[in-house]
Order: sequence, then C-alpha cells, then structure tokens
Amino acid sequence: MNNFREVAAGKKWLKRDYVAIMMWFMGRAIQAASAVDSAVKKEFVDMPDSFTFALSVMPNGPHMIVEKDKRGLARYRGWNSEGKKIDLDMKIKNIEAAMLIFTFQESTALATARDRLVVDGEVAHACAIVRILDIVEVYLLPKIIAKLAVKRYPGWSFRRKYLGRVLIYVRTIFGF
Amino acid sequence: MYLPEHYEFFCPVKINSGNRALEQIPFELDALNARKPLVIARKDDSERGLVDVIIDAFKDSGVAVGIFDAVPSAPDLKLIRDVFNIYRDRGHDAVIAIGPVADTAKMLNLAVSGKPEDIEGCAGENLIKKRLKPLIIVPTLAGTGYEVSKYAFFAGRIYASHFLMPHLAVIDSRMTIPEDAVTTVATALTALTHAVEAYTCPGKNPLADAYAYTAIQLIIEHLVNVLRNQRDEAGRLSLANSHAMAACAFSNADVGVTHKLGKVMGDLCHLPHGLCMGMLLPHVLEREMSGGSYHISDLLLPVTGFDAYAGTAENLRARKAVEILRDLMKDLSKASGGAIPRTLKDAQVSEYALRDIAQEAVGNEAIFDMDDCLKILREAWEGR
Amino acid sequence: MDMPGYYEFCCRVKIISGHDALEKIPDTLAELNAVRPMIVTDKGVVGAGLIDIVVNTIGNRVNIGAISEDVPPDSDLRVVNSLARLYRDKDCDSLIAIGGGSVMDTAKGINIIISEKADDLMRFSGANALKRALRPLIAIPTTAGTGSEVTMVAVIKDHEKHLKMAFVSNFLLPDVSIVDSRTTLTLPPAITAATGMDALSHAVEAYTCLAKNPLSDAHALAAIRLISDNLLKVTVNPGDKNGRLGMASAATLAGIAFGNSMVGMVHTLGHSVGSVCGVPHGACMAILLPYGLEYNMHKNGHLTAELLLPMAGADVYAATPKEKRAQNVIALIRRMNKDLHEATGGRHARFFKEALDRGGKEMVPKERLPRISETALRDGSIFYNPEDLDYKDFLMVLEAAWEGKPLDMSMIKKG
Repeated sequence: MNNFREVAAGKKWLKRDYVAIMMWFMGRAIQAASAVDSAVKKEFVDMPDSFTFALSVMPNGPHMIVEKDKRGLARYRGWNSEGKKIDLDMKIKNIEAAMLIFTFQESTALATARDRLVVDGEVAHACAIVRILDIVEVYLLPKIIAKLAVKRYPGWSFRRKYLGRVLIYVRTIFGF
Repeated sequence: MYLPEHYEFFCPVKINSGNRALEQIPFELDALNARKPLVIARKDDSERGLVDVIIDAFKDSGVAVGIFDAVPSAPDLKLIRDVFNIYRDRGHDAVIAIGPVADTAKMLNLAVSGKPEDIEGCAGENLIKKRLKPLIIVPTLAGTGYEVSKYAFFAGRIYASHFLMPHLAVIDSRMTIPEDAVTTVATALTALTHAVEAYTCPGKNPLADAYAYTAIQLIIEHLVNVLRNQRDEAGRLSLANSHAMAACAFSNADVGVTHKLGKVMGDLCHLPHGLCMGMLLPHVLEREMSGGSYHISDLLLPVTGFDAYAGTAENLRARKAVEILRDLMKDLSKASGGAIPRTLKDAQVSEYALRDIAQEAVGNEAIFDMDDCLKILREAWEGR
Repeated sequence: MDMPGYYEFCCRVKIISGHDALEKIPDTLAELNAVRPMIVTDKGVVGAGLIDIVVNTIGNRVNIGAISEDVPPDSDLRVVNSLARLYRDKDCDSLIAIGGGSVMDTAKGINIIISEKADDLMRFSGANALKRALRPLIAIPTTAGTGSEVTMVAVIKDHEKHLKMAFVSNFLLPDVSIVDSRTTLTLPPAITAATGMDALSHAVEAYTCLAKNPLSDAHALAAIRLISDNLLKVTVNPGDKNGRLGMASAATLAGIAFGNSMVGMVHTLGHSVGSVCGVPHGACMAILLPYGLEYNMHKNGHLTAELLLPMAGADVYAATPKEKRAQNVIALIRRMNKDLHEATGGRHARFFKEALDRGGKEMVPKERLPRISETALRDGSIFYNPEDLDYKDFLMVLEAAWEGKPLDMSMIKKG
C-alpha cells in the first residue's frame, strides 16, 4: 500500500541542548543555594540522608540530578541518571513542556496545574523541592521574570537578595 | 434546579485542549498501554500540513508513528479491511484520527478490536458490548460535529455505542486551522443545536448539562468573531472545544426536534444539516416554550452569562434566550456577507417544499404534529 | 470565558442516579460481564440496613460471592490484603463497594491486588503505575459526600510502617457509580452536614484554584447550586428523598470537578488537622472553607464573586454590587455553618475550638496548631492554591479558624 509510511520519532536536538543547559544552571544553583541560603539549607537538613531527586524530561532526558551529601548540603550530580537511585523524580512529560517551563512561559505552579509533570515519589518531598526551586529562581532571575516563575515574589532583606545573589552566581558558575 | 427522577450518564472521552496538547499524546498512549499508533487522515488534510504537525509533535517521544493519509471522502468496508491489514501487519496498537475521518477511525477501531467481519453486525444501537482499542481523535474545524460522539455514519448505516467514543480528544490550535464559512458555521450550529436541545429537553440531567452549558457558552461567545476574523486562533480553539463537548452531551440526551427536522430538511433540500438546524432552532424553541416541560429559561445563563441572566426577570428569560439565538443567525448572515442564510427562503428552500419536509418528518417520528411542524417551517422560512 | 492555556478533563465513570437506581445492579453487572461480585462495606452501612436493601433488590438475579463489612473508618493495608484473599477464596469476579471514602479506597486497593495478582500493593503506588483495566467495580456511595466514587485516586494507610500510600490512575475509576436516594436517607444530621460541606469545599476549590477549566467549572456550579438548595433541608429533614438525591448528585458533580481541577489550601490545612488531631475531613472542610476564600481573595476574589449566583440565586446576585459579592459568598458559607450547627444540636462545629469528640473533649488544642502548620507544608494540594503559604501563613489561618474570627486581611502577605 503506497499510501502508508512510517516515521520514526527522531530527536529535537536544539531544544534538548537548551533544556540541558538550563538544568545544568539550575542544578548548580541549587547546590550553591544550599550553602548560601538558610531557608534552602533547612529544607535539605529536613530531608533523609543521601536523598536524591531529579528533574527529568520524558522519555529520555535530559535530567538534572541533585543529591544530599554527607555534609547535609546539595550536590549537583549531573545529567545522567543511569545507575543512580532516584528518591524523587519530577518528570516533565515531553520536551515541549520542558521548553515552556525553562523559557518561563509556564511557572512551576502553572505547569503542575496544566498536567505537564508527573511526580514519582513522596509528595512531601516534592513540596520541599518546589519551595527550593522557587527560592533559586528568585536568586537567578531578574524580578520581572521571577515574578512570572513564582507565585509570590518574596520581600527579602537587601543582604539576602543582593549579596546572596552574587554568591550564588559565583558558586553556580564555578561549581562550588 | 431541575433534577430528573432517574438518569444515566456515560462519557468515556478524555479531553485535552490547549497549547502543545499534541505533544502530550505519547504520554497518553503509554497510559493506555499503546506504543505504536497509526495516524489516519484525508489526503487534503495531509496536503495542508496537518499530518506533519502530528509527526513533529511525536519528535523526541521515542514513539514511531504509522501514517495512512488516503482516506477517501466516501469510504467503504474494503478500505477498512485494507487499513485493518496495515494495522495488524505493522503491529499497531492505537488509532489517531485527524478531523473528518472520525467515522472511518471508529469503524477501523471496531475492526481491529475484533475482526472486520464483525462490523456490519454492530450497526444500530448499543450492539457493541466491550471496550475497544485505544482511539484518539484530533478534531479540525472541518467536521460534522459528531466526531467525539457515540455515533458513526458509515456506508449508509448508523452505528451508536458509547464504546465508539474516542478515549481521548486532543484539541490543539495547530490543527484547528481556518475553514470556509459554511463548513465552520454548519459544524458549530450542529453542535449548538445538540447542546441546546440536551440542555432544554424535559428529561435533562446535570451531567450532560455541564457539557452542554459549556459548549453553548463557547459557541455564542466565539462563532461570529471567528467568522469575521479568520486569524482568531483562540476563538477557533474554543469552537473545537465546543464541538467535542456538545458531542458528549448529545451522546447522553434524547435527540431533539430541531435535530430531526434539520436532518430531514438537509437531506431533502441538499443543504448542510447544521445550517438547517441553526435556522430552525429559534422557532422550535418558541413552540416548545408554550409547552412548559422544556427548560428554556435556563438557556439564558450560558447564552448571556451571569449578570445578564440574573438581571432578567424569570418570566422573560426564555423569550430573551430565543431572541439571542435568532440574532445569532442574523449576525452570522451579516458577517458572512450572506453566505450563511438566515431564513429558509434565503437558503433557496422552495415554499412548496415545506409541506414535503413536514410530511417526511412526521412520517418518520410519531411524536410530530403536522400542524406544529408546518408552523415551525413557515416561520423559519419567512424569518419571523 | 477564560479558556485556560491548557487543560485536561475526564470522567469515565458511568453514573446511574435515581430513587430506584439500586434495581439496576443486576443489569449493570451483566453489562460488565460479571456474575459473582464481592460486596465491600463497613459496619455502619450494614447497621443502617443498606446491605439488606441491596441484597433484597438484587434478589436471585445475582450470585453474591462474598460480603465483607470489615472496612475500618480509615483505609488499612491489612484489610485490603485480607479482603483480596477473601475475593480469591470465594472465586469472585467483580467488586461492589457500598460506603464512604474509606470503603471506596479499600475497594480500589483490593481491585489492584486481585487484577494484577500482586502481593505487594506498594509496587503500584504513585501515578500511572497501572497499565490496563482492572476487574469490574461498581461504587455505591452512602455519604454525599467524598466524591471518591468518581475519582482516580485511592489512599491506603500502612499502619505498621506508618506510611500513607497514594495511588493515582484512570484505571482505578469505578466502572459504574449508582447514586440512589435510599443510601443516604438514614445518614445522621451531623454526618450529613459534614459530608455535605466536604462536597461544597470540593466544588468551591475546583472553581477557584489554579487548575480550573470550563468543564469542571460547569460541574462545580451545578454542585454548588444543589448543595445550597438541599443541604440544610436534608440536615433538618433526613427523610427528604428528593433532597437526598440532590445532595448525592451534588457530591458526584463536585467529585468530578475536583477530580479534574484539584483542590487548594482548604484541603492542605484540612488534611493536616485531620492527620494531627483526627477531626473528620468534612468537619475540617466546613470550618476552613471561608478562610481559604478570604486568604486567596486578592488572587481569586473575582471567581469567588461568581459563586454568589449558584449559592444565593439570581435575585440576590443581581441586587449585590460586584465588589461585595465575594464577601457575601464567604458570609453565606459562615451562615451555612451556623445553620448546620443549630440543626445538628451543636454537633457541627463552626470553628476548631468547638470541635469536640464523642466524650466532649476538645479535639484541636491550641498548642497543636504549630504542629498542624508544619504538617501542612508537606501536603501537595498547595501546588494548586492561587497564593503561597509558608509556616507563618498556615499558623495565622489556623489561629483564626480555631477562634472562629474572620481572617485579618491586612495580615496577608502579597508578593
């Protein structure tokens, strides 16, 4: 039948690369924030030891993996989930949904409301992760964009906002 | 609020609508335990790029799609057998139908859930007894309005079963590209008629009402604008939503007088059923208003919204709702530069045909009264 | 109408509703190709004589494989496992769940085990772990209600491991829900009031939170209308059959609405009060509902305002200036609580200080509010709430809800 054809799925390389880069920033920023910001630090303290969570794009990545290390701080563990035990996996259903999130067209809250994500793991931990992501976004993004990304833009002290931001940027870029 | 003493309701359709809705399909297929969909479409939809949009939506999903894009406009059982063979031989496990091939897709789904020979035995009401394999319908604006419903019209026969309804209807503005005025309006008026009749019928139930109410709101809000401005993407998306919702309501309510009369008239006078229904609807409602068992005053709520509804005295609501539906036909006619007829006369229906239509309608259905029927037709002819 | 940028809506349950809907059980089973159902219920339902009604209506037309009344007030893994064993031992092929939320969840849990032939329910926890249809399940709700007869969620507690397992899958939905006025006729006033307010909270939160969509809105509005028309009536006059049917339909409509659009802070706090202090869910919802609307007012007040139409009717709606409508909705809900309080002889609590257990002891001591606030931080329904809440915000709302004083709107932090 020559009216039939089959098309393989292929890959959206450019979008995968973009999301991978954004996830790299986010992972390292979470790592930085756990060292610099007391609220983020507390969230990690409350998590079980060696707790590992991931933000993933279905079906085949990219991923962002963050672990609670022995010091109780966050450690960004890269993009490859192979061989790692993930306690909480926040899976974005497809690359386009990931693009909507990482180009800030849909905030975490909106993306959740719009069924773009599936949470694999304990909801209590997911709540903590979302709080952490919100804080990190406020640090990383200019106010005008952060206001789209979070439900309630916080009124932080000058020190937390500006000094913290500098520290987090430096640590994110240099990876410590 | 009216609650019937007894009602039943079943709507197995999931509706996904909005930005990037198509990209969620692989996830939905996986939830239905399907991994290899077969997309079926008409050649002209394929040529308009609609199949490419689906292919693009599957990129990066790890799911390969099969595509059969030669569904003719009058398909037959031989076609079903041919596509059945493809489905079986290539190991497909789900069907994705684009737009007006919904009936073909439903028949194909019936075939692949059993065997092609089973199909003809299922013609009629409720002869399908079990769930079918996964079926996803992606509506366009060029349809009949029955795509998501429990009905399929195929090779001259009617099939009706809730099991024919798709598991998922995906409404995405990349697929609801503009169509010509008559197609757009005819489909929308079919949906409007179905929704209004479900919403106002004596035995209405609150579950079908939820779908009908939403469909009516969307059509009244958007139809004229979409006609005036082809680029109104949000409006087109809303219309596609309303078609799916009206189909769900219609599949759970009695078939009304306007539908029956409109269908007879459409067949006799070679006019799109939807246009006939639209022209007849206000007049049928007028007649039903005097009866007392139809819930026409409720109609004002979805038609005008909360403030106007609450601000209208209860005994005036039915009349106002019917007025607005009459005005709708006027506005559609104007906005289309006359391409959409307002009266049967405008639609070139001969005055002599009215009696034939009435006779045919009454002949089919014992509930019709010849006088009433003629009165309705005459009013609709003159546009009173 | 505001069409959301993206939404999903689904309710695959067949609904049969009426004063004689139970009579449809044999036909329903036949359509589902089921011949030997197991009835899952609890002692309260048996005590109310409802199982007798069902068994008599079914008569000889159906061969009931087993009846179990062992479901506890809170779904329990041990019971799920033992009932699954009973199902297998008695060669059953389908389930009929007759009861409230716990019975429904238990039945859904049993269905996973017997359909997947599993020994460990935990394997299927989380979202989308099921991949195919389960055995036929008919749900007959006896409260109006939790709406769990139309949701795809089941929560089962493992009391040994102190775990709460949540299961989310379309395949958990019952095939059919039978809504019959007889099943709630003997519901005592206090439970009628609490479960009715539970349904109201579902509809209101579905309408006013972030995942709202036009279809769930339509279901929610109808539910709110039916509850406003019928709840007080059936609390005062339990034998009002039409009122009971109205409430039952409302609970189903509300269940469909929130099953699709989720809930918000009223449930976040309500779950926490429930888990820390054991206050029944419906009672928590009734008390917290006005506070949720007050707290979120700056974000969704315009939506709350619209609820005045189904709650108070067209005349009141038209006569109330737009800016006052949201306030009036909140006042109306408080009024409902007051009326229900009187109609139940004081058993329906208007605020947490008033919530007493059977022995007359206070269920929510003020000292526990901080603990409840901490617990609330771990509840996922907060994702769908229009505004954020941190520990201090939760505490502020709880303190007001404890005292029964309206929220001090000037204290609400607005980013």
